[in-house]
Amino acid sequence: MKVTDVVRHGRRCAPVERRGDISAVLYADFFMPSRSRSLASVLLLFAAVWLGGISALHYILNLHTAENKFAKVAKKDKFRIGFLPVTCHLTCPVSDFINQKMTGDNIFEPIRFSSWPELKEAYLSGQTPATFILAPMAMALREQGVPIKIVYLGHRDGSAVMVHKDSNIHRMEDLRGKRVAVPNRFSNQRLLIFRALRQAGMTINDIELVEMPPPDMPAALYAKAVDAISSGEPFMGQTELDGYGRVLWLTKDVWPNFISCVLAVHEDMIKTRPEVVQQLVDGIAQSGKWLDQSMDHRMQASQFVSKNYYHQNPRLLEFVLSKPPDRVKYTELEPLRKDFEEIEQLGREAGILKGTAHFDDYVDPSFARKTTHLRAFAWEEKP
Amino acid sequence: MTRPIISIRNVGMTYPFKGKGQPLTVLENVSAEIAAGEFVCIVGPSGCGKSTLLNIVGGFIFPDSGEVLVEGERVTGPDRRRIFVFQENGVFPWLTVEDNIGFGLRRRAADEREKIVHHYIAMVGLTGFEQAYPHELSGGMRQRVEIARALSANPDIIYMDEPFGALDFISRLKMRGDLVRIWNAEKKTILFVTHDIEEAVQLADRVIVMSTRPATIKEDIRIDLPRPRDLDSRGYLELRDRIFHAMGMSLRIGEEESPRLGTAAV
Amino acid sequence: MSVVPAEKKTTAIRPTPPKKANPRGALGVYLRPALVGLIFLLSWDVGVRWMHSDIFPTPFDVVKGVWELAQAGLLLKYIVASLFRVSIGFALATLVGVPLGLVLGWSIPAFQAFNPLIQIFRPISPIAWIPLAILWFGISDAAPIFLIFLASVFPIAVSTISAVRNMQPVYLRAARNFELSRAELFRRVIFPACLPQIITGLRISLGIAWLVVVAAEMIAVNSGLGYLIIDARNAGKRYDLVVAGMAMIGLIGLGLDLLVRRLEHFDEVRWMYAHRR
Repeated sequence: MKVTDVVRHGRRCAPVERRGDISAVLYADFFMPSRSRSLASVLLLFAAVWLGGISALHYILNLHTAENKFAKVAKKDKFRIGFLPVTCHLTCPVSDFINQKMTGDNIFEPIRFSSWPELKEAYLSGQTPATFILAPMAMALREQGVPIKIVYLGHRDGSAVMVHKDSNIHRMEDLRGKRVAVPNRFSNQRLLIFRALRQAGMTINDIELVEMPPPDMPAALYAKAVDAISSGEPFMGQTELDGYGRVLWLTKDVWPNFISCVLAVHEDMIKTRPEVVQQLVDGIAQSGKWLDQSMDHRMQASQFVSKNYYHQNPRLLEFVLSKPPDRVKYTELEPLRKDFEEIEQLGREAGILKGTAHFDDYVDPSFARKTTHLRAFAWEEKP
Repeated sequence: MTRPIISIRNVGMTYPFKGKGQPLTVLENVSAEIAAGEFVCIVGPSGCGKSTLLNIVGGFIFPDSGEVLVEGERVTGPDRRRIFVFQENGVFPWLTVEDNIGFGLRRRAADEREKIVHHYIAMVGLTGFEQAYPHELSGGMRQRVEIARALSANPDIIYMDEPFGALDFISRLKMRGDLVRIWNAEKKTILFVTHDIEEAVQLADRVIVMSTRPATIKEDIRIDLPRPRDLDSRGYLELRDRIFHAMGMSLRIGEEESPRLGTAAV
Repeated sequence: MSVVPAEKKTTAIRPTPPKKANPRGALGVYLRPALVGLIFLLSWDVGVRWMHSDIFPTPFDVVKGVWELAQAGLLLKYIVASLFRVSIGFALATLVGVPLGLVLGWSIPAFQAFNPLIQIFRPISPIAWIPLAILWFGISDAAPIFLIFLASVFPIAVSTISAVRNMQPVYLRAARNFELSRAELFRRVIFPACLPQIITGLRISLGIAWLVVVAAEMIAVNSGLGYLIIDARNAGKRYDLVVAGMAMIGLIGLGLDLLVRRLEHFDEVRWMYAHRR
């Protein structure tokens, strides 16, 4: 019996019979923790320290931010509005930002989502009593009995169909048999394409329609995984800016004054706190007028919205808001009957709406009417 | 026999055969009596049910027929006063040698426990290995730990189920010697199951020979030899041969098997 | 003139056995993986340049992206946020999963009653739970914690159940021999015997929890490494940040795994891993 004296991390132990197994070698291993304490006590101690420490760090860094500390309104009383980082919803962050700068605080809290389904679910679960949302989606929800009311519009125009600049698609007819991406079944882009196809004498069966989240569309076009993409800005402009996209047509060429997104609120809010709704709509209206007042305002908005809300490159928003200048419009945003009736009809034909809900069911135009006399925000970004 | 400490009465055990239909009778009408302080070995071919019998006596299995009385009471389950020593892996790997041996002594005061534990560590020859863990020890050392664990609980009876079966020849010899010395010192009743005929003759006061399945007791042979047993003595060899015969086995390795022999269910 | 024989240099030379590097020395543990890592990074860089891709980032772009985040003060915030959610979610999963596994592993009626339900819920991806998570927990840390909890609790429970059911029966017999009460049996025999396998289950489950963090942070939280990736995607062409987020997730995952592996060295559980090479 060969006997070797082995020191076990500080505890001298009597000779252990070497049977050729590697346990002795393990003792010299680097990753040997000190085993003077038992597993249970070490684990409990470590868990307590770690959980306490990480929770404290998280609270300090992420939750206990300066804005919250000096907020005049408690966080839980704030009114949440959902939006996506698209130009269609630009008035939301703009009004939030300007309000903060002018009055120091805002009772509205904009919440950014990254996809339509989440936005919709948050609204359905009551997390966001107000939200920007696709117009056909709001109408479809109303048909399903959800108490939603459209009170204002997002913007007009501001959509496009882009193709790869190397492709030989120059007219609508060239899309025959090709793959086209749209954001969502309930998007106006889909209805747009439907209408454009009809104008060109084609049907929906002549193309292959796929659904894709707007942020993924530029890469898909670059990789030629799809032949054409259509969604709200700034994703369309991004392909142009990066040099591989070409406009097939802008919405203003196919469907003038096209509306894409709307501002909708929960019916209960209208019943219980109509003054807050009015305040919201006023702010949105004023920021819309501010954006359309001058190109300079738009450039300012590109900067502060990109940096603080959208986390995109400011150049992108600048491009989309200016080239051409009437790519998007933020005024005349009252919901009008004829706009919606057109969408209703197209929606029925495209099969996404049943036609059981009408303008008076899903729109409350009273708030918008009161904004016509309002003027734009009187505010400039200090250089 | 003066009042026997273990009384096995007409024990029978049948396992329902899975699928084939025929139930398997392992034990049939086994009866025996063991006196206090005796060292009794049960030998038999593999699979004859001797382990099953020991488990029944130990209270881990219930017999289909018959009963076992220990110290006058019917056995209904395992008991702290009768400790079982297993063939392998009975020692708890997450405890040190010390903690294993002291396992049955939790109710005692700490210093008393320590004294008892160290006494038995010395008795089985593991001094210096108190803090070692079982996976660091050899097989023989692990069995020593298990024996010490059984002893320290101060039982009346120790049941041993082929405890040296997993060891090599030389370790087995050594362990047998140690076991005899311990038994001499502690004077416990030991019921020892083995398939090794020589081991039975080297250790026991009595050897109970079991037949093949369905097992009954073939012979109950008293070993009168003085201890320490001399492997060369005529008495030893005679008794050994007698058991070989009782089991129907030839002393000549490789001999043609007669029809009477060779029915061992190996 | 005495002739002094020259010292024989050619005495029998004992051949020395070739020196074998200790497989567990510093060379093995650090140098080999570093080498593989280096080769990987080089292949990545060469691959991107060769493809002339202007979307996919090179390793250097990724490092720049990480630096940019650190400069903006976001790196620490995001890492802490993700670690926080995973820690709480995983801790809750352990507190629920281990006792549940012990009970279900031990009691056959309980196992028969609850196991089918567990097996139905187990394969449902956490991503499928996102709508419900928003509904129940809103837009706060609770929703990602819930998703991480769901992802972790099933592997923990299942491996604990398996540990109990596959325990060596000889331990139970020995314990019964000593007439242990039910509580003592669990505390002194069943739990220690199952502990190595439970720890293995914890290790696997922590890996899954950390893997789910990207999915869990798809809900409208505004911090965390998963959020970073989603956000970078929305920001347009910031694939360097996407890959930076992935790299950090990977590296932290490695760190977490090494941390849990150290648990395996404790005496209470070493016995099961002792026969590893």
